[in-house]
Amino acid sequence: MDEALKSIIQEAETKTRELTQRAQFEAVKAEFVGPNGSFTALRKEIGKLPKEQRPEYGKKINGVKESLESILSATLTRIEERELEAKIGPAIDPTLPSPDIQMGSEHPLTQVLNRIVDIFSKVGFTVAAGTEVESEYFCFDALNTPADHPARDMQDTYYINEEASFQNIKQKADERYVLRPHTSSVQIRTMLKEKPPLKILSPGRVFRRDTADATHSANFHQIEGLLVDKNLKVTDLKAILDYFARELLGKDAKVRFRPHFFPYTEPSFEVDFPAAHLGKVGKKWIEIMGCGMVDPTVFEAVGIDPNEYTGYAFGMGIERIAMIVYGVDDIRYFYQNDQRFLEQFSR
Amino acid sequence: MLVSLDWLKTYLPDLDKTPEELDEALTLIGFEVEDIHETGLPPLQNVVVGEVLEKAQHPNADRLSLCQVDVGTSENASIVCGATNYKVGDRVPVALPGAELPGGFVIKKTELRGVPSAGMMCSAKELGLGDDHAGLLILEDRPEIGTPINDLYSNNDTIIDVEITPNRPDCFSHIGIARELAAYFGLKLKYPDINTGGNSFSEDSGKSLLKGVTIEAPETCLYYSGYSIEGVKIAPSPSWLRQRIEAIGLRPINNVVDITNFVLHEYGQPLHAFDAGKIKGQEIIIRNATEEETITTLDEKERKLQTSDTLIADAERGLVVAGVMGSIDAEVDDNTTDIVLEAAWFTPKKIRKTSRQLGLSTDSSYRFERGVDPVAIDTAAYRTIDLILEIAGGTLHERAWKAGSNAVETTEIEITPDFIRERCGFGPEDEAIKESLTALEIEVNEGDSWKATIPSYRGDLTRPVDLVEEFLRIYGTDKIPEADVESRAFNRNHTREWTVRNAYSQYMRNKGYAEVYNYSLILDEETRLAPESDELALLALKNPISSDQTHLRPSMIPGLLNVLKRNQQHHSQTSAFYEWGRCYRKKGNELVECVAMGWIIQETEAKQWLNREPTDFFKLKAMVIDILRLAGVKYSENLVKTDSLPSFAQEGQFAVMGDIAKSGTQAEFGLLNLKQLKEMDIEGLVYAVNICITPDVLERKEKPIKYTPYTLFPPSYKDLALVADKKESASKIREALAKAGKAVSNKEMQVDAVELFDVYEGTGLEENQKSLAFNITFRGTSGTLKDEVVNKAFEEMQSIVEKKSPYRVRR
Repeated sequence: MDEALKSIIQEAETKTRELTQRAQFEAVKAEFVGPNGSFTALRKEIGKLPKEQRPEYGKKINGVKESLESILSATLTRIEERELEAKIGPAIDPTLPSPDIQMGSEHPLTQVLNRIVDIFSKVGFTVAAGTEVESEYFCFDALNTPADHPARDMQDTYYINEEASFQNIKQKADERYVLRPHTSSVQIRTMLKEKPPLKILSPGRVFRRDTADATHSANFHQIEGLLVDKNLKVTDLKAILDYFARELLGKDAKVRFRPHFFPYTEPSFEVDFPAAHLGKVGKKWIEIMGCGMVDPTVFEAVGIDPNEYTGYAFGMGIERIAMIVYGVDDIRYFYQNDQRFLEQFSR
Repeated sequence: MLVSLDWLKTYLPDLDKTPEELDEALTLIGFEVEDIHETGLPPLQNVVVGEVLEKAQHPNADRLSLCQVDVGTSENASIVCGATNYKVGDRVPVALPGAELPGGFVIKKTELRGVPSAGMMCSAKELGLGDDHAGLLILEDRPEIGTPINDLYSNNDTIIDVEITPNRPDCFSHIGIARELAAYFGLKLKYPDINTGGNSFSEDSGKSLLKGVTIEAPETCLYYSGYSIEGVKIAPSPSWLRQRIEAIGLRPINNVVDITNFVLHEYGQPLHAFDAGKIKGQEIIIRNATEEETITTLDEKERKLQTSDTLIADAERGLVVAGVMGSIDAEVDDNTTDIVLEAAWFTPKKIRKTSRQLGLSTDSSYRFERGVDPVAIDTAAYRTIDLILEIAGGTLHERAWKAGSNAVETTEIEITPDFIRERCGFGPEDEAIKESLTALEIEVNEGDSWKATIPSYRGDLTRPVDLVEEFLRIYGTDKIPEADVESRAFNRNHTREWTVRNAYSQYMRNKGYAEVYNYSLILDEETRLAPESDELALLALKNPISSDQTHLRPSMIPGLLNVLKRNQQHHSQTSAFYEWGRCYRKKGNELVECVAMGWIIQETEAKQWLNREPTDFFKLKAMVIDILRLAGVKYSENLVKTDSLPSFAQEGQFAVMGDIAKSGTQAEFGLLNLKQLKEMDIEGLVYAVNICITPDVLERKEKPIKYTPYTLFPPSYKDLALVADKKESASKIREALAKAGKAVSNKEMQVDAVELFDVYEGTGLEENQKSLAFNITFRGTSGTLKDEVVNKAFEEMQSIVEKKSPYRVRR
């Protein structure tokens, strides 16, 4: 019996030495410890022994059992390691290029727009939306620009065919539909729908009937801001735009106000950025946007009491800012969508 | 508007600013300077008139001459010269040593080819007088020898091109601009001295070249005055007047016409001079044009008039399109001796309408459209009469015809300095505020509140808030102090559209797509690429500007295809683009504006060291479901259609989910038509998506999420295959099985999920059949399910499906 026990260990060592597959291992394991295994048979022998021999035999059996277990578990570990290795495969060359498509890019105009929205969001402005097709009333009349106003000259507007009407764009009466020439119509509709105080941004696409060239495009983008509250002052307007300039261009940047005329604001200003901050030389200031205090007539048109509330509004062209910030010299690049252009703005 | 600085200075004798300072000043008071340039001869020292006394060959150079030139000093100048266009006795400009010519060229005593030369005889170009450098400038008028050259060419000037905003018609004149500068710099304004005055005339008697003036169109003509001057001599204008006219880019015509043009640009009041002899019946009638009436204007074009257009007519015919342009019939010409001068006031709206109708914008119509100063009408007329009498001679008749009225009520605005300070958020003492306003000739009467009397030419000032801007302009916008941004919370969210847009953009970017911006306007043919294209004639613009941008886009795909095509020429790598924007669809008889999201992908079969699975329909579908989820819309298989596809779809490889007209959402996605792509020269497989959502769908409130407890008991699974017609949609088949699952569910046991895991066609099935295999999850609600329970439910499900649907269980 001792012999048999000894030979089991030897046999186990021999048989497991070359094992590489889990199935083979299980078979070999069964040969020893399975129901019909040789070790199982030897263990059963203990019952046949006289009582006094049993403890000694038991000790021996246990010793063999431990050895057997350690042989088997070592074998299993070895097999598992090999399996794992097989799964992992050979070492890779990490410098090989990935064939997968990589992160895409956001259009430079989106990036500039987001940056501007972020800057104003920090001080409490939120985005309001409107449609790109609008009716004349919301683009002109409500903005203190009646039909015979010379200022309508300044905006040559696209009109929609008279047969077309838009189910989700409400007219004031039966005035014509236009492609909005600015996003101020969003301000009008928001003021009609929501009660002051209001603090909104209206970014979006606008349309002018211009012949396309390096600085003109049939459609372009604007963002306008509107704050309606009590006791707003010109200094508040200047402060918010100085803040904007600092955020966009750097700590010591500020804006210059030039008196101007817009029908919907009084007083009105054009706003310049310091050219030096934009890396431009030769000029001290670069015109960047228009702004002003909301004209009382506009408030009256939307049913806000101009004696109770004041407001300011500002608006700028996204393309213009993008062109200045990125040094793009032709607006048409933004609409040609050449990959060689777009991928330069991938971050 | 072009402004001559020299001219301006006649009203601002104390103005001593450089062009740069004027540029800045005008800019800061609201007049953008578009251009500023010098004209005429710049001031030159040591350049005088000289006469060539001798001309000899240079001893050492064939092409040079050696001249003795009398320059008005005791000694003649000996000058070497290379020009050939002059002869002895000619008078020419001579730059003597010490002179600095334009471009910084300094004249010194020098030696040329071994011969001393004490100066230079000059060409026009060398003096800065134009481009002529073919030879010396020969002074044909033979001015006095030694005269400084600037005395001959004294018309140097600075021309400023100023942009005038539409609210400031008063500044379409030199006096208007001068007034602004006077206010800003605190200078005294010197108005022209005028001899003629109201008391020079009688309105009801006395001599006149006219027998009457009648306004028959009072809605157009508010005021009309006619003056008579007899015996003028039409001639070219004197040089000072020619210089003024030329400085602002006009062509001098004759003294009378030039004078009216001069006064127009001085006061901003358009005037008209008639040849009195050409006024038939000696009367002037201001009337509307008759049906089909035509007039040949001074630009020699025959103009067809409408009955809303107004004419200044005589007894027989129209002489002037009121406020716009005269006709050739009453033109002042070289033979004119008697003149009728018109100074009138027309309704801006009417002049604007006529000007538009005729497509004719003139200096006159431009000013009448925007509004002239009613008070200055008489002043300008008197100024014109003064100048005609002075320059063209003649006798002024006593009778002035006047019809209508130019009397206007004076605007008074009640305002307090506190109001101005409050609106500005800053401000100086009362006195300084008052000064800013009075500088603009606004009369301020102090009291509890101020009464500000507005000059007649400032029709734009009617309300207190208008004076806030006036104060700021003159006080200086550069004095607005810096302030902190005050920001209180308004508890308003970004519109969902904005949030969805950003989520969409990030999603697409992370999937490797590049964002593009296409125009919203597209070609007619491109609209046909959308579904229901035959109904999209409504998308046409009324007034397109170019033939490739005539229609609103119904889909993002045409634009995206163009991007693909354009880039195909440059790149061989995978092209994947996305766009966000708006597109337009039909809903009933109307259109709806939709938020649109579109993307396109074309994978090239370029060699790769490691192969990847290419894009297919189902990758696209997963993206569509994701994007709709971001937009708060649930993708529903029940709403999927595979018929009535857009024309660019490849049949059998494309689907439309939803209906914009019904649910406000529609997604079109799949493979694009290969034939069409080939026609566009696009090779290979192109997948594209267009999603339209009406904005109201995006703004819908999100359903609140509510937690339902889940059971911890382990589920049981069963597999089942259903055989169906090949054309039957998987979603329908699954739906039938799920329904059966619902039917067998009860309090104790639920069918949790029915998931498709295999599609099979072929051996064992008939040709027109397919088999779909599903995995069904059963779950107990109060304990682990016993096999018998599951088996029973499973059996029941099978019999329900077979009873209630055309599908057969594959056993």
